[in-house]
Amino acid sequence: MSIGVEALNAYCGVAAIPVPALFAGRGLDPERLDNLMMRTKSVALPFEDPVTHAVNAAKPIVDALDPADRDRIELLVTSTESGVDYSKSVASYVHQHLGLSRRCRVLEVKQACYAATGALQLACGYLAAGLSPGAKALVIATDVSLVDEKSQYTEPAMGTGAAAVLLGDRPHVLDVDLGAFGVHSYETPDSARPAPTFDIADADRSLFAYLDCLTNCFADYSARVEGADFATTFAGLAMHTPFAGLVRAAHRKLARENGIADTAADFAARVAPALEYPSRVGNLCSGSVYLALASLVDHLRPTEPVRVGLYSYGSGCAAEFYSGVVDASSVAAVGRMRIGEHLAARCELTFDEYRALLAENADCLVPVADREIDPHRYASVLDRVGLPRTLLARTGVRGYHRRYDWIGVGAA
Amino acid sequence: MTGAAVRRVLHEVIGEILPTVDVDRIDGGRHLRDLGADSIERVEIIMAVCARLRVTEPLASFGDIRDIDHLVAFLSEVSTR
Repeated sequence: MSIGVEALNAYCGVAAIPVPALFAGRGLDPERLDNLMMRTKSVALPFEDPVTHAVNAAKPIVDALDPADRDRIELLVTSTESGVDYSKSVASYVHQHLGLSRRCRVLEVKQACYAATGALQLACGYLAAGLSPGAKALVIATDVSLVDEKSQYTEPAMGTGAAAVLLGDRPHVLDVDLGAFGVHSYETPDSARPAPTFDIADADRSLFAYLDCLTNCFADYSARVEGADFATTFAGLAMHTPFAGLVRAAHRKLARENGIADTAADFAARVAPALEYPSRVGNLCSGSVYLALASLVDHLRPTEPVRVGLYSYGSGCAAEFYSGVVDASSVAAVGRMRIGEHLAARCELTFDEYRALLAENADCLVPVADREIDPHRYASVLDRVGLPRTLLARTGVRGYHRRYDWIGVGAA
Repeated sequence: MTGAAVRRVLHEVIGEILPTVDVDRIDGGRHLRDLGADSIERVEIIMAVCARLRVTEPLASFGDIRDIDHLVAFLSEVSTR
């Protein structure tokens, strides 16, 4: 039985700031750019939130389905650490604005940057069980960034956006190796979002946990999968990318532990293709590994079936290494989403524009009873978007209920 | 392994990863970040020292290290287990 990813898309905003410009604006040490390995950072506009990100990532996937297939989406899961309500899920809004069938399970999950992978594995298990033959599941990882100058070197690394993953029994993008996984989880206070306006993070503790978990997850994977060999089993590796420099360090550690002599060449061949998009976006939280997978497919461009490894890590912490097979149909399916073109078409912000938007974005997750938001106030940014597209925008809040509408952006 | 031997290895590694730091003037009361090491360099320093001392301690064990003296004491302890 084949179960896996039928379609994959990422929405990474329509505005971005070059990381060197952010370093200059904040007075950060430019010598640290080499180990950060980040080029641009996606920036949300004040009418964007976790709901709009999720819908804008999934809409092209849903629109490409014929109505009968769309109605087979029987499970919608949003994964986020940017919840907008203690009770009401982001998924409930997303279900409405994607126009999904009412015969659908709808829920939201949370486990920091791991949550989407946990949801994906549970959904694959459900689909593989055959309880509803032909059913599909839509998992959408969506988050907004709350970092500012107080976050120092984390600020240039944090992105904004969402990744949407459609799962089913026609896995054109990634044929998941069912049962081939390794997991490692324990409690640690490496980072958290204790309130809707700020994050806390212990950089060293988080890096140590990410790296320890990678070693332990791969050991668990190897114990479950006969013949698994880090050096030869995987043509490419897509990893959760808090910043690309950490993925380079993680690969170097695992490569050394598995006897790879030329770690730099191995990194360039198997990992660098997965960092092209993440290094132009920033950390998408639980969507990060799926942006990395899209990047890997778009840049590795396999013509024959090859196995790839995926590593997902979420603070707190929970982690998983798993695998699947990609081929030429993956390249075609991901390519149809034009992720690279949309990244290139983002409006480039000046530091002053970025700082002004950051101040307006700060209360994105704070519950308020009533508020009006006019997306057209940001025409000076929207008119500089290079590719025309239609996006869902938040237009306000009434009685704590978020309101949304569709807008056109970009030069026609 | 004695503290002096661990410190010698640590200084050797710091000199390789942070070549602009004068290792003879490292104050044990300072953290690696005070020497200008970024988060990746701090991880690389700890992994390299552990490899040379043949210490297999999980990196998470180093999460509460306060300063270089504390790091030396911790490595001395785990290297003799």
